[in-house]
Amino acid sequence: MTVQQSSQRRGGGYLQRPAPSGLADVIEIILDKGIVIDAYVRVSLVGIELLTIDARIVIASVDTYLRFAEATNRLDLVEHGGGKPLDEFIGDMQESGAAKKVGGAVKGAKKAITGGDDDEERRPARKSSSRRRSEA
Amino acid sequence: MGSTTTTDADLVVDTDRGYFVYGVVTEAPGRVPEGLTGVGGAPVRSVGHGPVAAVVGEIDLERTTGRRADLVAYSQVLDELAATGAVAPVQFGSVLVDEQSIVEELLAPNEQHFVELLAGLNGRAQFNLRASFHEHVVLGEVVAADPEIRRLHELTRDLPEEAAYADRVRLGELVARALEDKRVLEVEALLDSILPLTAGYSLRSGAGIEHLLDVALLVDDERRSEFEDHLEGLAEAVHERIGLRLVGPVAPYDFVGGDTWG
Repeated sequence: MTVQQSSQRRGGGYLQRPAPSGLADVIEIILDKGIVIDAYVRVSLVGIELLTIDARIVIASVDTYLRFAEATNRLDLVEHGGGKPLDEFIGDMQESGAAKKVGGAVKGAKKAITGGDDDEERRPARKSSSRRRSEA
Repeated sequence: MGSTTTTDADLVVDTDRGYFVYGVVTEAPGRVPEGLTGVGGAPVRSVGHGPVAAVVGEIDLERTTGRRADLVAYSQVLDELAATGAVAPVQFGSVLVDEQSIVEELLAPNEQHFVELLAGLNGRAQFNLRASFHEHVVLGEVVAADPEIRRLHELTRDLPEEAAYADRVRLGELVARALEDKRVLEVEALLDSILPLTAGYSLRSGAGIEHLLDVALLVDDERRSEFEDHLEGLAEAVHERIGLRLVGPVAPYDFVGGDTWG
């Protein structure tokens, strides 16, 4: 599987050590992190609000439960040999797990970032700080 | 900004250009590596104030930011800075209009905070650890351990999706709870094993069937190989049920506090 191939192995090789090169990895590392400068001081840039998407996912929803039920039923494919070979199945799990944590948010942000040209016209940057100053 | 001394031409320039702020470092000659470039390919330099400095690059305010290359450039600048000393990352997309506001609105009011923050980050690096269940293994455990889950599982698995809706929701709910119980125990065990080797940790949110633990760890440079060896051993010990994935060292994004500065 690709994740394993791209991992740097140390020792026994059970610990995955991917280099954080992909966009999903970078977004995941930096999402919502870092010192926050007050909105009245900083300049707003087009596209930035996309990175503050709330990454939390509500666990207790019917949709989530249905996904858990589905996953449980997928189990039979493995148990009954009706699906992929076990190794391949595990590989898929690990691969998809790599970007799944904030999956929804990352996908949303990625889409917005890469597709921003089409539907989002360039707006002039809002300059809250200079506006505030001119009022002062 | 003294509007009395600013010509119209200057105003136009001011509104088009800003300073993208990457992070805060300890002020020192050569702290920012020679030739370092950031978002938009702009040279990266420092704007100092007393013992601290903001690392910034000029940016065109009219262009859309948040593109792939911008995000990657931002993280590369911070990782580069983190590799050569303490750096407190500033949230992606923070732009100030001019050097004066960098000093007066960011650095001066928070000088003491930044000094303390950087002292706490000095000689340390962040690693992001994710632990994930191997889904089929833990689901198998859950089904095997609970007769009610097994009953609902057998009842619903061969029915079309529209049928037995309530039973499927109930099944999912029971599975989610059983996994959560498992998760609590496993997370406690993992943290007990790892935290003695770290200088700090910050839990990150996560969800999903396989989600177990997502945590940012602050590790002393001098304990780094001990930490990495320990995790390698831990990964081997749990590998049949749990996968461990370690990313880093990266800049200490998760260890700069949640407060608003400025």
